Amino acid sequence: MADAALFLSDLALGVLLGCVFAVIAHGLNLIWGVAKVVNVAHGEFIMLGAYGAYFLNLWFGFNPLLSIPFDAAIGLGVGVLFYFGFLHRELRGKESMDLQSEMVTLVSTFGLSLVLINTAQKLWTPDNVGIPWSPGYVVFGPVQLPLGGLYVAIVSVSIIALSHVFLSKTYLGNAIRAHSQDIPAAQLVGINPTITASIGTAVGFGITMVGGALLTVWLPTGIFPAMGNLYAPISFVIVVLGGPGKMWGSLVGGLTLGVIINVGQLFLGNNLSLAEAAAFLILIPVLLLRPEGILR
Amino acid sequence: MNLRSILSVGPTLWGIGIFLVILGGSAPWIPGFLLTLVTGLLIWATLAYSLNLITGLVGYVSFGHVVFMAFGGYALAFGVGALNLHPVVGVALGAAVGLALALGIGLVTLRFRGVYFAIATLVIAVAALYIVLDIEELGDGKGIILNPAVEPLSVFYTILVTLAIEVGVTYAITHGRIGYGIRSIKGDEDAANTLGINAARIKLFVYALSGLFAGAAGGVYAWNVSGAFPYSSFSLTFSLQMLAMIVIGGMGTLLGPLIGTVAVYLPSQVFLTIPLLSGLQFIVIGLVVIIIALFVPGGIVGTLRKYIPEFRGMLE
Repeated sequence: MADAALFLSDLALGVLLGCVFAVIAHGLNLIWGVAKVVNVAHGEFIMLGAYGAYFLNLWFGFNPLLSIPFDAAIGLGVGVLFYFGFLHRELRGKESMDLQSEMVTLVSTFGLSLVLINTAQKLWTPDNVGIPWSPGYVVFGPVQLPLGGLYVAIVSVSIIALSHVFLSKTYLGNAIRAHSQDIPAAQLVGINPTITASIGTAVGFGITMVGGALLTVWLPTGIFPAMGNLYAPISFVIVVLGGPGKMWGSLVGGLTLGVIINVGQLFLGNNLSLAEAAAFLILIPVLLLRPEGILR
Repeated sequence: MNLRSILSVGPTLWGIGIFLVILGGSAPWIPGFLLTLVTGLLIWATLAYSLNLITGLVGYVSFGHVVFMAFGGYALAFGVGALNLHPVVGVALGAAVGLALALGIGLVTLRFRGVYFAIATLVIAVAALYIVLDIEELGDGKGIILNPAVEPLSVFYTILVTLAIEVGVTYAITHGRIGYGIRSIKGDEDAANTLGINAARIKLFVYALSGLFAGAAGGVYAWNVSGAFPYSSFSLTFSLQMLAMIVIGGMGTLLGPLIGTVAVYLPSQVFLTIPLLSGLQFIVIGLVVIIIALFVPGGIVGTLRKYIPEFRGMLE
């Protein structure tokens, strides 16, 4: 029987990991909620964010937390480009997404992910790199936590809280929410759909790339061009678990996944691969029983 | 089916049939490296047609089609390696595993629509890899290595026959009574249901067929490379490349997947042989997929059909 201390420390690690999962899924959640578009290339933008942090560290010695503003700025720009390149044609003049447009965005962003992975492999080689940054540990009784992971968790939760405040308390945020609920009604009260949707997408991309930077703290040697193939499915599961468009949903989904992976290992005989399979497959019963996500 | 209806199947099916017969008849004289290339092409065409069944005809985008292919490959590797079956029986076993798996997965996931189906299939494919990594009988993460005594011609004829059956099945279900059901589901599933079409059953039937052929193709693939290995068999690249092929060729058409396979596979092989260009093929494929998805929604065959009305009757 696994003893209580081990359980506690796995639980705490799972919570920390869940926070960073939450923030990498949060950008997808925003784009999905605002523009009703699933960005299949989401994992590749996480990868770009991670490489952004890596190069800032390589050239200027920044630690991953310092690279956040730079990644966010790049992400905002990329998001605007992405909106006008991929989404504007499909969303323009429509009252809601139909299945046909959904297929177009799925397939075109899938093409984008092929281009990004393979361009990154050509530019930066397929080899793993990492950022050597480890600020030490902090000890709470029987539980020893990595300080880097703790900082990242605090930043992640703040980002999610800020985005919640942004969407519910500011004029722009309200406009974005109105747009996501009912486009013709939003237009009637003077909201420009193109501007709101593009800003929403840009913010989503900014958060995605920041998520990539924060993720590097957990990956001492795990930055490589195809890393999106792992983190994109994780993000999809998290967003569906929490419910697309619900800001706290990312946190709920992320914590669920992080805790299942870490604590699940303990109960599945220290078997990481089975724990990961369980974390992914939890999506299926949730979709069957609560298609709107765990949160109401 | 009587003789007249067999003769009147339309130029596309005739064309594909004649192409396959000529290919089959000339195979013994094709030089070795070219035969390998053609076998690869036929395996990919079988995969593309299998994805076309569910994604092209019914309109359910599946990102996890690789799961049928991988388990088909593992079925062959296990059957040949552990049970000493003949590889052709192994391919049949792969097809059966693909069918059973598709029935099981489809029963659950086909309830979801659009993006949710795509994500559910993707997640199952990712989870399947982690599960296989843990099964001792399937090589425990290292995979199964077979004795590489492969006769290229028997591999070639197996996949040729599989593809021929698959194209015939695709034609039969699009032109039979069930074809109306499939088209109405693609158009509007709720409307189809109100018209008395049992959408759930039709979707499951098509998905099962799709899994069957993907399993068979996976079996032939594993036979061809003499083994099944977890990270390469479950690589999502397979799903993605299949999808790229049918998008480029034209989703939901009879000729599209074949054209798409030729258009994606042959250039990729050329790129692979030139060291300077190797790795660039996916960038080009990705760009083409983006352009086709955004600006040319019908793919190659769909566009031909749209702008040259004379082709409309021929391309059915």
